[in-house]
Amino acid sequence: MKDNIVIVGGGIAGMEAARQLLLLGYKPILVEKSDHLGGHVADWHCLFPDMTPAQQVVKDLTEQIKDANIFLETEVSFINKMKMGYNVMFSNGVNVICKAILLATGFDLFDASKKEEYGYGIYDQVMTNKDLEHWFNTGDDKRITGKDIKKIGFVHCVGSRDVKAGNQQCSKVCCITAIKQAMEMKERFPDAEVYCFYMDLRLFGKKYEDFYIKAQMESGVHFIRGRVSEVSENLQGQVIVKTEDTLSGKPAKITLDLLVLMAGIVCNREAVQTASMVQVPIDSDGFLKSRDNILNIIETDSKGVFLAGTATGAKTIPETAAEARAVALAIHNYLVSQQ
Amino acid sequence: MIDRFASGFDPFVIPFLIGMIFVLGYCIIGAIRLILQLDAEDKKKFFLSLITPKTIWKNIKDLFLNCLIHVKLWKRNKLLGYMHSSIAFGWFMLILLGHIECFVYMPHRVKLFYYPIFFNYFVAENEYTLRGAIFFFLMDFFLLVVLSGIVLAIIKRVRSRLFGMRRTTRPTLLDRVGLYSLWMIFPLRLLAESFTAHISGGSFLTIPMNMMFKAFLGDQMNMLPTWWAYSICLCIFMCVLPFTRYMHIPAEMLLIPFRNAGLTIKHARRGFAKAQVYSCPNCGVCIDACPMSIKKANIKDTTVYLNRNIRRRNEQRIEEISDKCLLCGKCTAVCQVGVDGPQMRIAQRSIRNYGLDQDYSGMDISAIKESVASEPSKDKVLYFAGCMTQLTPAISRAMESIFRKAGVDYAFMDKDGGLCCGRPILMAGRFDQARQLIHKNKEVIKASGAGTLVLSCPICYKIFREHYKLEGIRVMHHTEYMLELVRAGRLKLDGGAGSIVYHDPCELGRGCGIYEQPREVLRQTGELVEAEANRDMAICCGGSLGSLTLGFDKREDLTRNALHNLTVNDPDTIVTACPLCKSTFARYADKPVEDIAETVDKHTK
Repeated sequence: MKDNIVIVGGGIAGMEAARQLLLLGYKPILVEKSDHLGGHVADWHCLFPDMTPAQQVVKDLTEQIKDANIFLETEVSFINKMKMGYNVMFSNGVNVICKAILLATGFDLFDASKKEEYGYGIYDQVMTNKDLEHWFNTGDDKRITGKDIKKIGFVHCVGSRDVKAGNQQCSKVCCITAIKQAMEMKERFPDAEVYCFYMDLRLFGKKYEDFYIKAQMESGVHFIRGRVSEVSENLQGQVIVKTEDTLSGKPAKITLDLLVLMAGIVCNREAVQTASMVQVPIDSDGFLKSRDNILNIIETDSKGVFLAGTATGAKTIPETAAEARAVALAIHNYLVSQQ
Repeated sequence: MIDRFASGFDPFVIPFLIGMIFVLGYCIIGAIRLILQLDAEDKKKFFLSLITPKTIWKNIKDLFLNCLIHVKLWKRNKLLGYMHSSIAFGWFMLILLGHIECFVYMPHRVKLFYYPIFFNYFVAENEYTLRGAIFFFLMDFFLLVVLSGIVLAIIKRVRSRLFGMRRTTRPTLLDRVGLYSLWMIFPLRLLAESFTAHISGGSFLTIPMNMMFKAFLGDQMNMLPTWWAYSICLCIFMCVLPFTRYMHIPAEMLLIPFRNAGLTIKHARRGFAKAQVYSCPNCGVCIDACPMSIKKANIKDTTVYLNRNIRRRNEQRIEEISDKCLLCGKCTAVCQVGVDGPQMRIAQRSIRNYGLDQDYSGMDISAIKESVASEPSKDKVLYFAGCMTQLTPAISRAMESIFRKAGVDYAFMDKDGGLCCGRPILMAGRFDQARQLIHKNKEVIKASGAGTLVLSCPICYKIFREHYKLEGIRVMHHTEYMLELVRAGRLKLDGGAGSIVYHDPCELGRGCGIYEQPREVLRQTGELVEAEANRDMAICCGGSLGSLTLGFDKREDLTRNALHNLTVNDPDTIVTACPLCKSTFARYADKPVEDIAETVDKHTK
């Protein structure tokens, strides 16, 4: 029987770390507050750049970690530091003594209603990226189902790179997500005009640029550079977007049937509490603080406490998975060094 | 009482005379200059006010209550109030009684300028009368009052917190000279009068001291030197007065009649503005009041430093201080002399040279005009949301819903785009541009034929109320209008909103004096609780458009401080009546923040 390892969070980072730790011969304990594994990815439909079904990714990972101790609908109640490790109490009453804790607590989607000027929760035809994925998965959303959708807009950077929204960080994945969703919508509504309102397009990842070119050349998505200033609603229930086309230098007003807000990534609020139990502070960007941000991004100043995934900032799924593998190795090395 | 000296003169009065003539000359010339600096309209207003019985009475009352009794200070802190009124009122009574004494006993000496001041030196008491005893008693009594004030003033220098002041300004070198000479005047007067008390007579203070000195010193060699010292101290104080904070004493005597005449600041540095600058006593009450001074930041950007730098003609600092201010007006609310911090700053901004002058006079408003145009009707309401409400659409939605519920015939002036009300650009000191916008909006309002204009933004409301001059059209903030609907029974509230704290927006509260209307509406909507500082003492949310330079990152502390003030009574909901306050608070609040229109709309039966 090897040492206990507690993984907080059953998203991609937690699952991949658990998978690697199982391969290394450990039997990690994974706690997840919701009733299913997979985190935010489980709510998604298809993943860029190859349109891999998100469910498939989650299913594969779940399959491979079935030997781990997994507690669903369970949270960390408190953590006590002990001489040789930590005593972790879960909300289901289980008490564990472990040597290493991995905080794979992920992110919260920015609450789009906080940007009141975009009218989420006020106007009928405004939704978020997550709502749209939900519709892709279920086909059930009164904003789209049965509606005659002729014009669709995507607003980039909602709650990202926005000091007034309290988050100055780039959420990294929304540019490509918006392009992906724009193309998917174009497929479903071939006659519709699709607009993306962006301030920059940050297409850094594998095949992202191809996606962008394809969106313009094949799908005919219109890209308008300029931040949306305000959104209003007309008597027909359509939304009117006011923006500036900064490339032509003209103000623009576009009436749309559907507006999708690309809500950004902010630090998981509950994770902040859990992290404080093991003295992991918050960095100036609002995410959990690593030992340093070059080589030790998965380690903390608290002994035996590790980080992986979006707990330390916005990341793509491949980045998260890579970090999870790295953290598994780091935990292994740590435990070996402790013997 | 008889004259001790046939000449009625002694050389020691010369320093006093020099000081007195200097300060009087300076103040009279200064006052004439300030009056001449007023424009023709203001001059007329001012001179008319001097012969209107109502304003004459108000001037006398205000001069007495503010300059002598310092009622505003009493309201702030009893010790601080006593300190100031004991010195000011006590000194005033000493001068007044001295003159009455002179009139009663030495009428032939009244023409001598200095005689009443040094009365006790020049007279000898030849008979004891009740009248004399009363005079002497009063003189000693008021001297004691002043001395008690001086003692407090000295204590205040060391422990200003006892007087309810956390932070204050550092006195300049000349201020210190003035201060110390002021402190010295009264103890020296006591000494001088005590040394002469066996000749001139005295009362409970001076007679025993005279006896004590005689017992200890045995001779009267100290008499003349102390009178000299007393006179020199008076001279020093009066000679430095125009260059110190004590200039506020004469300046306020001009500021009060100016203000009562209804003058406004027309020029950044002349006339009324200058009277305000010189009336600033540099007390620094505005430092603690300023919302920007939280966490010891921006202390040197408060109104007292604006006045200081205007006096020093430090243009760079004037510009920085004027531009940074949020124009919340709290400094004015706490100011003892009523220096109008926001207006002073707007005036400074207005004399700036900008590289570019926008012109809005050519803007096409025909589409907006068309969308609201209708036959004139008293009952028709025109609703103007303004830019800030456009960014908080929940408010305009709630307003429309309220209009529908109450069966109001309304038009939405800027439903599909509109012009700015002009207030932000007015705040930036660009009056011509503001006028152009006002002119354009007026055309739209006139075309609508509405009898009432309703605004949900206090920033708009203030300019519509003060600068639009919409004859025959009622300009109402939505809090006022909702109250009217509730009172008329057109809107029925269910009272189920739980506990609510109401935040007074600066532009609505201190800016327009509307405090009670929203509270009356909210009392029927839920259980109204109050913030720690409220009404005219409310704390700016930090989102104000007034500041041209205060960075967004610097504002978070302000907002959090204001939120802390609002939530001391742990309300369920924070309600305000300004879209800008709403969005600013919502950013950091851990409780729901609503506009009063949303609260009312949700809780209408």
